[in-house]
Amino acid sequence: MHNGVMMAKTILAVDDSGSLRQMVAFSLKAAGYQVIEAVDGQDGLDKARNQVVDLVLTDQNMPRMDGLTLIRSLRALPSYQKVPILMLTTESGDEMKAKGRAAGANGWLVKPFDPQKLTEVVKKVIG
Amino acid sequence: MPKKRILGPQVKRLLTGVSDHGNEHLLEVETDLVQTTILLAEAIEKLGGSFLALHAAISAQQQEIDLLISSGTASTATVGKLKIIQGDITRHINSAVTSLQFQDLTSQLISRTMQRSAGLREVLSTLGVIGDGIPHDGGSDEIAVLLKEITIRLETQSQELKGLLRKAVTQKHLDSGDIELF
Repeated sequence: MHNGVMMAKTILAVDDSGSLRQMVAFSLKAAGYQVIEAVDGQDGLDKARNQVVDLVLTDQNMPRMDGLTLIRSLRALPSYQKVPILMLTTESGDEMKAKGRAAGANGWLVKPFDPQKLTEVVKKVIG
Repeated sequence: MPKKRILGPQVKRLLTGVSDHGNEHLLEVETDLVQTTILLAEAIEKLGGSFLALHAAISAQQQEIDLLISSGTASTATVGKLKIIQGDITRHINSAVTSLQFQDLTSQLISRTMQRSAGLREVLSTLGVIGDGIPHDGGSDEIAVLLKEITIRLETQSQELKGLLRKAVTQKHLDSGDIELF
């Protein structure tokens, strides 16, 4: 809350695909969330340090820093111990999901996403 | 006594020929894939822009419709029909958002294909390099040793390439993917 006004929750969307980021931002903004975009894992980490967000949604296969490395880096920050982190990736194998869970991810979404389902799961996780 | 046939030059020509022709064609494949990537990127930029513009226009129109409905001028039947149309529009928008993610998936597949093509060119170069080493008057024993060396190196390179090219995109349709909360 700020001056009695409920502030919209903020989501950090990390993906090296501009079109994917565009669709994620479109879907989540339509549901009332604020969205910060990052173009790869390193950009995501830098932006996450600048402003603590309510949820991180990250791709796995990205240049400079992949999703799993980003998750581990975020979990090493005191301010990101409890922030929910969801993977949004083309990867659907059990082995990768297990790695994601071990790194600290709270959920796994396989691309392509349906905007209604994405909004529902985000709402379930952060309200 | 029949003259011993020297196969060295022919084997050498074969190996360098496969290497050179293979490289030439694969470079063309990679050029086409680069062009495909560029066209796809341009297409998605235009499609994405048009989609957002269309959505903005529809949203503005919906606001006017909502004003008309709240003014009480529209009949119950008309209001009912407009609500159904609004539901249809929402469904189509969601479907479009799912479909507009095609470029992300296809560009990953193209990238993997280009890596494989580059890896294959390296493999073919091995044929050329080792083939160059075949002496002009090489006998079958010498050729056999070099061919064995080629086989071993090709197997190693092929395994390395497989290790680098893990299949990250298995989707065959653009239906939305699974969601799992841990």
